[in-house]
Amino acid sequence: MKIKQSLSERVYIWLVYIILIGSAILCLFPFLNVLAKSLSSNWAIISGKVGLMPIAFTMENMIFVIRDQLFQKAFLVSIYVTVVGTLGSVLFTAVTAYPLSKKHLPGIKFILLLYIFTMLFNGGLVPSYLLIKNLNLMDNLGSLILPALINVFNMLLMKNYYESLPESLEESAKLDGASNLRIVFSIIIPISAPVFATISLFYAVAYWSNWFSPMLYLNDPALKPLQLYLRDIVLQASDENLLNQDIDSLLNLSPEGIRNATIIVSTIPILLVYPLLQKYFIKGILIGSVKG
Amino acid sequence: MNRGNHWISQIKRNYDLYLLLIPGLVFLAIFKYTPIYGLVIAFQDFNIFKGIGDSPWVGFKQFDRLFASDEFGNIMTNTLLISLYKIVILFPIPIIIAILLNEVGRMWFKRTIQTIIYLPHFLSWVIIAGLFVNIMSPQTGIVNGIISYFGGEPINFFMDNSYFRSIIVATAGWKEAGWNAIIFIAAIAGLDPELYEASKLDGASRIQQVFTITLPGIASTIVLMLILRIGSVLEAGTEQILLLYNPTVYETGDVIGTYIYRMGLTSMEYSFSTAVGLFESVIGFILVIGGNALAKRVTGKSIW
Repeated sequence: MKIKQSLSERVYIWLVYIILIGSAILCLFPFLNVLAKSLSSNWAIISGKVGLMPIAFTMENMIFVIRDQLFQKAFLVSIYVTVVGTLGSVLFTAVTAYPLSKKHLPGIKFILLLYIFTMLFNGGLVPSYLLIKNLNLMDNLGSLILPALINVFNMLLMKNYYESLPESLEESAKLDGASNLRIVFSIIIPISAPVFATISLFYAVAYWSNWFSPMLYLNDPALKPLQLYLRDIVLQASDENLLNQDIDSLLNLSPEGIRNATIIVSTIPILLVYPLLQKYFIKGILIGSVKG
Repeated sequence: MNRGNHWISQIKRNYDLYLLLIPGLVFLAIFKYTPIYGLVIAFQDFNIFKGIGDSPWVGFKQFDRLFASDEFGNIMTNTLLISLYKIVILFPIPIIIAILLNEVGRMWFKRTIQTIIYLPHFLSWVIIAGLFVNIMSPQTGIVNGIISYFGGEPINFFMDNSYFRSIIVATAGWKEAGWNAIIFIAAIAGLDPELYEASKLDGASRIQQVFTITLPGIASTIVLMLILRIGSVLEAGTEQILLLYNPTVYETGDVIGTYIYRMGLTSMEYSFSTAVGLFESVIGFILVIGGNALAKRVTGKSIW
């Protein structure tokens, strides 16, 4: 039976849809505009007329960015840091979170408190910087990974997930004589796909997007990850990679178009991975955020 | 069996679980607690060649210098203003988005909107700074294109003290407003559907249901999130501002975090800069602990 909706009810629902669609457009607009510019010719960009569709379509900016050696190098450094960092972080986090989910064991609550305290209070910029210096990690990609191995927030998400698993699962395995470690690796981890996908995505994005740490710890140009490269090209408008080009190839190219194309190309890895993992992470967050 | 023996037998039986804790504890000691120990240089005249052991102790000298400095008033004002704008303007948006999404029946529509509005969260500040510098550029940006189209003068947003804070708030909202809705969407999903059914039978409209069921149902989540947010009131968005500001807008954009960075790593004033950081951390810590105690009293729930 369908109850006839009153007028105010219908207006309300229309408003809901309009506001939500409006927000989505607002989120996409800057991105689509830059995408359109990156596919437009120089004169069209300079005229300021490019909106959401490319004008005088050209792939030259994109091709230039993809072929650029400095870009490729920075891109590879970022891929390396992201892959190694995410693997290490997920392993460390998963292994730490499991025993911390067993609150009845002696000492566990205290150790949990040690972790939570660091969310509320930390040493801050200079002591962390001096630590990296003293560990001889300056100009070493380890400076981007080691201090970020465990994110306490992600660890708690995982711990809450473990806590939400039915105890009967582990108890029956225990009756069969399985050790704790076996339970972790053969029972717990295989059924934890949603939360693993969730925190993998969180870590990967954090490593991929990190600009602050490489800015502090890396001076060697060979180690420059993508975000540092982007900052030079996109925000400081340093066009050193344009200087070596001969005039002919610059016909459709422009610093502005290349900047736009650089933004787009660097975002592609995230645009590829994110929708694939989305169905997991919403589930992972929902389960992980229920307080046990 | 007494308590001590019980503990020992528990530890013995689960020794392998305790072994699993070791890598994390090593990490915690080196990368979290060593820097906390390093905060003692806030009370020294730290010299990097002498180290903590041999640097002279100076008590609260660095703090006195901070409170007496010309910049202190400016950075405190900027930090608090930017943070308060961010809280007052941006905190309600995710709640509204979550409520609106709850009104949508079509799953595919809900999914699509969620996918799109979460997306900016996954972009780095460098990229976002690049996007906005681009669309707001006085020469080729589309925003100024629109302003000129309607007969206005192009605005150089990133060089203008009267716009800078608004840009900081707007870009932060663009990045996080959609993503921050997740926690409220989860809270709404946890509400009992029978409540809605019952009130529907009583003839309540959907708008009334928002105020009688949804909002009261997620009130405790809202309070907890607000407390957490207020705890970081002195963190106005250091990375974001470092990427977007320039000396022209220090007057309105220089905040505690950017000041710490400049004094510590550009001017190498290690002790002074650590003192500023400690000041920020202590206030944040007090706010969260105090806010949590207050929330416990008001809502009966707490963060931990």
